Amino acid sequence: MRLNIVIGGKAGQGINKVSEIVSQTLTNQGYFTFNYRDYPSIIRGGHNFNILSISDKKIESHESKLDGIVAMDDNTIKVHEKALKKDSFVIKPDNFLEFGRNLNVALAGALIKILGIDKKILIEEIKEQLNNPESLKAAEKGYESQTKKFDLKKLNNKITILSGSKAVTQGAINSGIDIYFAYPMTPATPVLHELASEQLKHNCLVFQNENEIAVANAALGASFSGAKVMVGTSGGGYDLMTEALSLQGMTEIPLVVYLASRAGPATGIPTYTMQNDLGIALYGGHGEFPRVVIAPGNPIEAIEITNHAFYLAEKFNTASIILSDKHLAESEFSSEEKPSKPLKIKIERPIPGEKKVVKASSYESDKYGYSTEDPFLAKKNADERIKRYEEIKKECKKFEMIKFHGKKDSKNLIIGWGSTSGAIKDAIQDLDAKFLQVLYLKPLSDEIKEQMQKAKKIILVEGNVTGQLGRLLREKTGISIKNRILKYDGRPFRSDELKEEIREVLE
Amino acid sequence: MTQELRTDSPVTWCPGCPNFIILESARKALLNLIKQGYKRENFAMTVGIGCHAKIFDYLDISGIYGLHGRTIPTAMGIKIGNPNLTVLAFAGDGDTYAEGIGHFVHAGRYNTDMTLMVHDNQTFSLTTGQGSPTSQENYKNKAEPLGKSTPPLNPIKLALSSEISFIARCNARDITHTQEVLEKAITHKGFSFIEIIQDCTSFNLDVNKRDKDMYQLNSPCKTKDQALKLADEFDYNIRKGKIPLGIFWQENKKTLTEEWPQLSNLKKKGIGWKDLKR
Ligand SMILES: Cc1ncc(C[n+]2csc(CCOP(=O)(O)OP(=O)(O)O)c2C)c(N)n1
Repeated sequence: MRLNIVIGGKAGQGINKVSEIVSQTLTNQGYFTFNYRDYPSIIRGGHNFNILSISDKKIESHESKLDGIVAMDDNTIKVHEKALKKDSFVIKPDNFLEFGRNLNVALAGALIKILGIDKKILIEEIKEQLNNPESLKAAEKGYESQTKKFDLKKLNNKITILSGSKAVTQGAINSGIDIYFAYPMTPATPVLHELASEQLKHNCLVFQNENEIAVANAALGASFSGAKVMVGTSGGGYDLMTEALSLQGMTEIPLVVYLASRAGPATGIPTYTMQNDLGIALYGGHGEFPRVVIAPGNPIEAIEITNHAFYLAEKFNTASIILSDKHLAESEFSSEEKPSKPLKIKIERPIPGEKKVVKASSYESDKYGYSTEDPFLAKKNADERIKRYEEIKKECKKFEMIKFHGKKDSKNLIIGWGSTSGAIKDAIQDLDAKFLQVLYLKPLSDEIKEQMQKAKKIILVEGNVTGQLGRLLREKTGISIKNRILKYDGRPFRSDELKEEIREVLE
Repeated sequence: MTQELRTDSPVTWCPGCPNFIILESARKALLNLIKQGYKRENFAMTVGIGCHAKIFDYLDISGIYGLHGRTIPTAMGIKIGNPNLTVLAFAGDGDTYAEGIGHFVHAGRYNTDMTLMVHDNQTFSLTTGQGSPTSQENYKNKAEPLGKSTPPLNPIKLALSSEISFIARCNARDITHTQEVLEKAITHKGFSFIEIIQDCTSFNLDVNKRDKDMYQLNSPCKTKDQALKLADEFDYNIRKGKIPLGIFWQENKKTLTEEWPQLSNLKKKGIGWKDLKR
């Protein structure tokens, strides 16, 4: 069973509340949901919509064909009716305009009825989330206005809803984060907001500096003093941070970087998604120095990977980059899984304030931290930096650097990473294909090459123009992937469309 | 850790460079503060990139030899990472007023309890003498053979309008006065800024040797207007008028540590984040 419902309106009308009420109700009923959020960079007006996908089995994507429209304005219907399936429904705002600000609550009530869920359950949920007489009345009126179309009986799944941003926040808190430095930039901003609201509860600090250059340099300063530090940004801000990233490589002061991509170069399409920043994550910053780049595909992985990032940064005095994007950061996923127990992060390096003088230098330096231009030391230091990378590689083998999904014995190998993983997993449900999800992009698992060599057909699926993972794999394995499904219009893959594209290549 | 805060690193400044004297003033100020109870292991420094920055290798305290222009945010980070540290930032005029001027303007707003010393030799020395924001107009250099076309920036005025809570100027050659002002800057609660007028023995020689025009203020100004007027006496441009030295401005403002309960808590407990129990 799978439904896709669009909930749309103008920015500021509160469409997210509809998704929230309905998703939470469905979660309590044991249904899996995936909520895709599509909004332009507009504060009021325009057209915002969510696609709420509902299933009795685990899903991590939305589809292109719609079972229904919940419209807060007429424009929503105009934009989306082309995508409606034959036997679909439309809930129009017209009958509920009297509820004013509670229009969204009325529409949520109407949708709950269509899905065939008991009124008692709706009322409980509204009490839980809003608890005021106007909202309750709106929900009830909405409910009563519709006739039941589906019959979503209670299931026995224990599900929680989480966005990628909330997951990164959780992972940072699990790791005992002390300070988060950031400058607002979509789609990294939700982590700034989440952590800021949690800071007093968890006794950590969230600091907004004057720009990303200050963010990255202050972060190195604070980490040098012995704090567990993370910074967060999107592509443009990351560009500004890269000189400091290079300073990290030289000084070996641990640093965790949360990089959430948006679409396109420069300002691009700021509130939309693309996987176009793998290149800068891997190579940003001058000179040659080790680093870790990890890309979670869903919130559970994001919780775990954020913890790995802190662990590896501290253990190897390196920079760990958590690579996400708008689609993972702002979509709401549901899951029955629990993240694994977080690793403890211990600071064992010398820090100022203790008896010994600690010097960290931007220059090539000797063992006391004093600048040197000595060719012998220059080479020795460079060799040690590379050796450290080998140690990182060894340690990473303890983690799941890659994952397999789909038919484990299939000769058709799909390769992808990050937020695209969800759509791939859902797309290959009944295809003869195995999906290799790359979580660790640096270091890269040696097993990938073996898998590529064994496969009969390889398909690369990525959300960018040039196939950045494909390029990395060619560099590391010598194998270039001919079949590529690339999407770069700022919108994530929809699993039903992706399924057809994969099927075409397989045939 | 050596008793005298010196290191074995070979000094590579040009012979006669006033950076030697700034190093001595700093060393003496720190030693004196240590005598008065400051913990030597709690001192931490940052430097930018430039001739001034080499002081990092010659002063035996902890710190980060950072990036060009980023002295201030790096130092702020060290302080936020452990509010019990006494943090000093050494920077050049290129560092502070060109590459990193944004950080300087914001420093007053944050009022981090730290001290910034700008070695202002009115040129980019390490990169062989190009014009800096404080170089005089018409300064001929290799990058601007026709002469620098813009008037110099007045750092004291900029500091005053940026609401920096401690603003002073010193003469690099005057060890006693620089040491004294530096001690006051370090003990000041909030962001302290010392603009140190420094001759360069290799580049922009035209602005050197102004000692006879310099005079010392008796006390900080009572009003911003007075301070701004005093700041105008020396415009970093023409070789006339007087150059006031000493503390132009000092006021009590809430510090960054005091603004944040999390940091005040660490300060009260006398610990950094590393030793915080959750
Ligand atoms: C990002 C960056 N740009 C340029 C440089 C080259 N550079 C090194 S020092 C310097 C200027 C130094 O001038 P100043 O800060 O006044 O220090 P001084 O050498 O005069 O003490 C420059 C431009 C650099 N290191 N980093």
